[in-house]
Amino acid sequence: MIAGSPKSAPRVVEPADAGELAAALRAAADAGEAVLVRGGGTLLAAANPPRRCDAVIATTRLCAVHSYDPRDLTIGAGAGMTLAALAETLAQHGQFLPLDAPFPARATIGGTLAAGWTGPRRSAYGRARDLLIGSTVALADGTLAASGGMVVKNVTGYDMGKLYVGSHGTLGAFVRANFKVLPMPPARRFAVSRFDPGSRERLDAGLHALMVPPVALLIRDGFAALLDGDARGDHRPEIVALFEGSESSVERGVRDYRSTLGAAGVAETRILDGADAAAVFQRAIDSVVAPADGQEVTLLARGLPSEAVHRAEAARTALGANVPVRTLADLLTGDVVAGIAGDAGALARGVARLRDVLGRAQIVASHLPAGVEIDAWGTAPSTIGTMRALKARFDPHGTLAPGGFVGGI
Amino acid sequence: MSAFTSRLLEALGPDVVRTEPEDLAVFAFDAYSEDRLPAAAVIPRNAREVARAIAIARECGEPVVPRGAGTGLCGGAVPSRGGLVISFARMNRLLELDVRNRRARVQPGLINLELSHAIASQGVFYAPDPSSQKISTIGGNVGTNAGGAHCLRYGTTTNHVLGLEYVDTHGAVHRVSLDDPGYDLTGVLVGSEGTLGVITEVDVRLMTVPEAVRVCVAAFADVESASEAVSAIIGAGIVPTALEIMDALITRAVEAHYHAGYPENAGAVLLAELAGTHDDVAAGEALLARIAKDHGALSWRAARDQAECDALWAARKGAAGAIGRIAPNYYIQDACVPRTRLPEVMHEIDAIARDHQLPVGNVFHAGDGNLHPLLIFDRRERRQVDAVVAAGTEILRTCIAMGGTISGEHGIGYEKKESLSLVFSPDDLAAMGNVRAVFDPARAFNPDKIFPAGARCGEVGPPVHA
Repeated sequence: MIAGSPKSAPRVVEPADAGELAAALRAAADAGEAVLVRGGGTLLAAANPPRRCDAVIATTRLCAVHSYDPRDLTIGAGAGMTLAALAETLAQHGQFLPLDAPFPARATIGGTLAAGWTGPRRSAYGRARDLLIGSTVALADGTLAASGGMVVKNVTGYDMGKLYVGSHGTLGAFVRANFKVLPMPPARRFAVSRFDPGSRERLDAGLHALMVPPVALLIRDGFAALLDGDARGDHRPEIVALFEGSESSVERGVRDYRSTLGAAGVAETRILDGADAAAVFQRAIDSVVAPADGQEVTLLARGLPSEAVHRAEAARTALGANVPVRTLADLLTGDVVAGIAGDAGALARGVARLRDVLGRAQIVASHLPAGVEIDAWGTAPSTIGTMRALKARFDPHGTLAPGGFVGGI
Repeated sequence: MSAFTSRLLEALGPDVVRTEPEDLAVFAFDAYSEDRLPAAAVIPRNAREVARAIAIARECGEPVVPRGAGTGLCGGAVPSRGGLVISFARMNRLLELDVRNRRARVQPGLINLELSHAIASQGVFYAPDPSSQKISTIGGNVGTNAGGAHCLRYGTTTNHVLGLEYVDTHGAVHRVSLDDPGYDLTGVLVGSEGTLGVITEVDVRLMTVPEAVRVCVAAFADVESASEAVSAIIGAGIVPTALEIMDALITRAVEAHYHAGYPENAGAVLLAELAGTHDDVAAGEALLARIAKDHGALSWRAARDQAECDALWAARKGAAGAIGRIAPNYYIQDACVPRTRLPEVMHEIDAIARDHQLPVGNVFHAGDGNLHPLLIFDRRERRQVDAVVAAGTEILRTCIAMGGTISGEHGIGYEKKESLSLVFSPDDLAAMGNVRAVFDPARAFNPDKIFPAGARCGEVGPPVHA
């Protein structure tokens, strides 16, 4: 969704390498054009459309692995490489990178970093910003600037990667990223249960004290069932957990988890193993931003893990008994996702009301009719002045996705 | 008394402000070789007083240098242009502890180890553990993005800071958090060595104390074979909580001082720590022991009890101090290489030290590829001083040539600022300079640090102190 001039669609450029990408940016900047640098386009709704867009620079061809010695547990790759391709490369050596973004077959490394996506396994493995050990970005004036490196401990100069992650391409475009990667856990299980809404509190209380905690733990409410064959018409909430680790610890974790669920009155838990577990876990991530039906908006609000269940409950009832809100409460990270459907007016009112209830909430997915825009960001933080100054310094002519970021940056 | 010091005294009183040379002497240096007296020091009690002092310094054109415990090895806390030093000795409290959500809010002057002691009974701990943790502060650790022995599994300070309160160059107080929308100002401030803002509160992430922890010691014939074992362990997909190596010189010095039970006759010692469930720790030890023996380990044993674990760790973390007892002077280098290059780089460092006729000890975070060659010299011998400087630079160049970098955890500070351009191009440095220009256009916060003179982000332009 690009808000370009109504007369002409923005031209699309697909540079072959970092040098070409930087040159394309410089040319656009010199011509006073506005540019959107684009990866897989899976998270474009997580920012506002740029005010102007004359050219789209696609990173598609920047998809090479630049540096990978599996014994170092690090990898460097082009920003346009998809997460699925990266995962496949790593899996050949028994390694993985838990970025946990939706639609990995399309999502790119650069796009995932730029969107600042933080997945449900971050309490176990860290966020994308923590796994990134070095990067090269193309700045608005067409220079290439590197920071960090290929080592896992590095305090040489400012940690510029932190600044670019989550900047939605408004300061520069990732052309290359280096990560520390992890050995693939030998065992993986995914547990799915339906439960009676009344036992929510009891569940939450028991689960945070598990000695072998899951790496992801979500309560989904109002989303389509994750497993085929689940009884249609069963609208009870779903609790899902992913366990990863050694065979013995995963077995113990699942056993304790099931007994905690049992004590809270949850009768049945279905367990998936290995590749099935990974596939269904990915489906749970995809479902956050996947279109459900018609016009809709999905918000994500951060908060404390201890409050996730309450906040999701508040969101679910925020629009009254007749307006359903589908929610996801992440019991480990505190994230709350809330999705609503309706006509344009209802969506705008619904987003405003959900922001009253959840505090600062960012739109992560939207399916809106043409011409309808709802601000993806909501209230800007108090440090917006510093952020604006950073934008002005890095991109003085407003070349990079102008207007799409927080506070109109 | 200058206008600057009298304004500070007037605003904050004699209890907070120090102006006499004998009182200022303790703020003149850190663990690096340079020193200089500041014009004044303040020991504020809260962020408001920090902000007031910074505003006055700004109005008087004086630079500002924040100071933790002064344990930094690179001159990062040295007031190289005089001005104002802000000491956090009084802002040393644990403000809030939220065990359920695994987080705490602390003041920057809180000593690292005191935080973990204060919360140990709750089953949680603060993971970053630089060897200086008995005296260094959380604020200082945040400034340098300090590492430690347990980074291998848990990451460095930046991975454990959830938010900050800081005072900007105008004397305004801000709060930032990873949960804020917009640019990650938290991540940019951590590791900026006091050049972007002065941190007055830190929200830290806590971790659950593992069910089991096991500390093991293996002896090897030499550092190269111990390094080979470490590379093989990482390559096998095992990530212990720590993998540390000490060579013969360090091991003997440490044993003479601590009697912790390290094998004194070994050419190198590997200290490995595993943590997790009882089963995982037992299985992990068996695997580690097998890999170590396949790579020439002469012995392998696990500590019997907590007291022995503590003793082994205390000795390892006290290694530099133990060398101080046997050497007239020593110089610790800090560099990092990709882990597979460890055996090779250890060989090169040995050759460099021999070329310069300097004894070298090696004590390092092997699992991270983070080296600390320790060059022993006598400051009174001019030849040895020159040799140390030359050897140190050669070691850095060697690490860069192997795809590494010039500081893994100590920071750049004053010492390595000219070396930064060995790693980064003028364009790379200009991007960092953009950040500096936004946060601190007058370069009043910790001038002369991190950036080379003459770089676009460095000290070019109008001086802050006429």
